[in-house]
Amino acid sequence: MQFIDNRRNPWHTLGGEDGPVVGIQPTPYLLLDLAQWHAFRAQWPADTPVGVTLANDIDVEELEGDLPRLSLIALQFPKWVDGRAYSQARLLRARFGFKGEIRATGEVLVDMLPLLQRTGFDAVVLRPDQSLEAARRALAFFPAHYQGSIDDRQPLFAKPPGTAEDLVRKSVPEFVSAGEGI
Amino acid sequence: MYQYTEFDRLFVRRRAEQYRDQLTRNLAGKLSDDEFRPLRLQNGWYVQRHAPMLRIAVPYGEISSNQLRALGRIAREFDRGYGHFTTRQNLQFNWIPLDRSADVMEALAAVDMHGIQTSGNCIRNITSDAFAGIAPDEVIDPRPYIEILRQWSTLHPEFAFLPRKFKIAVTGATEDRAAIAWHDIGLHLLKNEQGEIGFRVLAGGGMGRTPVIATVMSEFVPWQQVLLFVEAIVRVYNRYGRRDNLYKARIKILVKAEGQKFVDSVHAEFADILERDAGGREHIIPQAEFDRVAASFVLPDGVAPTAEESPPLTDVEPAYARWLQRNVHGHRLSGYRAVTLSLKRPGQAPGDATADQMDGAAALADRYSHGELRVTHDQNLVLPWVRQRDLHALWLAARDASFATPNIGLLTDMIACPGGDFCALANARSIPIAAALTERFADLDELYDIGDIDLHISGCINSCGHHHSGHIGILGVDKDGAEWYQITLGGSDGSTLSGHAIPGKVIGPSFAADEVPDVIEAVVDTYRDRRAANEHFIDTVKRVGLEPFKASANGVRRSTATAHAA
Repeated sequence: MQFIDNRRNPWHTLGGEDGPVVGIQPTPYLLLDLAQWHAFRAQWPADTPVGVTLANDIDVEELEGDLPRLSLIALQFPKWVDGRAYSQARLLRARFGFKGEIRATGEVLVDMLPLLQRTGFDAVVLRPDQSLEAARRALAFFPAHYQGSIDDRQPLFAKPPGTAEDLVRKSVPEFVSAGEGI
Repeated sequence: MYQYTEFDRLFVRRRAEQYRDQLTRNLAGKLSDDEFRPLRLQNGWYVQRHAPMLRIAVPYGEISSNQLRALGRIAREFDRGYGHFTTRQNLQFNWIPLDRSADVMEALAAVDMHGIQTSGNCIRNITSDAFAGIAPDEVIDPRPYIEILRQWSTLHPEFAFLPRKFKIAVTGATEDRAAIAWHDIGLHLLKNEQGEIGFRVLAGGGMGRTPVIATVMSEFVPWQQVLLFVEAIVRVYNRYGRRDNLYKARIKILVKAEGQKFVDSVHAEFADILERDAGGREHIIPQAEFDRVAASFVLPDGVAPTAEESPPLTDVEPAYARWLQRNVHGHRLSGYRAVTLSLKRPGQAPGDATADQMDGAAALADRYSHGELRVTHDQNLVLPWVRQRDLHALWLAARDASFATPNIGLLTDMIACPGGDFCALANARSIPIAAALTERFADLDELYDIGDIDLHISGCINSCGHHHSGHIGILGVDKDGAEWYQITLGGSDGSTLSGHAIPGKVIGPSFAADEVPDVIEAVVDTYRDRRAANEHFIDTVKRVGLEPFKASANGVRRSTATAHAA
């Protein structure tokens, strides 16, 4: 999982004034909204990395044909308990084979990280008050999960015999109570 | 019952550790109460009127004597010495301080228990027929399938933040004792004409403000593909369920609003998972996995069919005869019976058990039922493996332990939520109403004469006490800060006795709390006047309609008489 530091992040939105954008100069690492992308995709040069931000009520199917041209898709959590973007990410990866970056934006809390990682996100912009240390810890609690996911497609039952036993053997006992000193 | 693997054990221990990490951050002020809330909910911690309530998962109602004793210890050490069994086959504690909650999760993990997904907007603990695996009318034992579903739904990363809670119920019997049509997903295991095993799948049932009976999504999904089909339903719901209005966020609203379009979307999604998705077919259940899980659900050691004993012709104590009639149930094994330990008795709220009673029930299970019990949808306990020849000894022991009230299926075997005494959502109390009715109908001869009847009490429209599905439903409502009760008649959970699942109908304006016992008595008397020979209450209601019941109920109004005369 990549933790995005916004100060060093090359991706940027058009910003500036509101209202319809009349023209966009294609520059690398521009993060467009869906309307902007639709308006300019015909002219967008193939060698200029471009990303799109998708609201969480947009059907990702709409972007299917454009996916090979996109380097980044930013999905949104307007509220962290709104779980629609997990399904968007899962579909982008498993159904449409999107290979670019999927970035979680909005109200992104450390306790969401296991879910984000397992549904196909590979980058997050944490809410500024969130602790990187707690985020890394949140990713390390479970040795494996029952159901398959984007980062590990096979459910536990489909893995080779002995896998679960090996995971138990390898689990680190010192981990227990690691959170107590926080 | 299912035997935890070392991996399962490690998993719940790590879940307890994860929870401790979250709690510690909350107590240190690094995780706000608002943001901690959804996290603790998904571990069963729900802040109530007095303290956080802890809802502990009892997957499909199966619990060992050892686990029940552990719950008793938790009741003593952390709570005020008692717990409450719920209609969803779980157990709730009401008085545990939040700062001790992580300790309780560790104590639970030590006996392979947890509160994972017993609350919150996620796939909840899955419920089933309390007689799964032992019922004479069972076609297929649903437990291995439910266990596989349980594992699949546990910490499912895509479905942890759905628009609203999501409840699945499964049955494998001819008779539906799990009220599956009232669930977000109802699964009915069956064999098709070719003898293949699969599921009839319903979705979109639910109670609450808008009671809805579930719609058929598929007449037959092969068992191997059931995880994929459920995934399809939940994904369509996660994407398109309403999130703008809490009261319209359940899947029932989406299914109702979209009708056939919803069914089509589910089938399209299912086909996409099967045919398009990378890894989509990974969740087809292999025979080997089914066999591994099913190996936990074999007969306990020493259990084998034996010859049925002929009942003694004379000298059966009347009280024992009654207990045999009401609390003892048929079994798929000859020489065996299932026995209900009634948690409906004077002086205690329906479904409540003290720590000593938990120990007592555990001891009965050890002595008479191979250390296994079931929690029922009707808030009782069942001993699933009782030898017919042990029945009399069990009856004596159960009587001494206050579990032998011979009222199963009768009026005082009522379902009731904890109500306003505990629940922060409730508009009115349930427990005093239940207590008043238990007192009013204390006479066993009268109770037996009234016969089979489902009486369900909810303290508010959230319907935890399933008032919609009661033959008699009692719903607490709040008017100007006072407690009032709306009475419905003719509801059904979908059982053979009750007929197709349907919500009951309101019989008039709400009644005052002190009128309720009189109203119920008047309704019951009307039934006794009007019934045909051997006719159950529910059938009389269906045959004669609501009017005679309305008239008799209105006849006993006192405090509400003036208000409604106008």
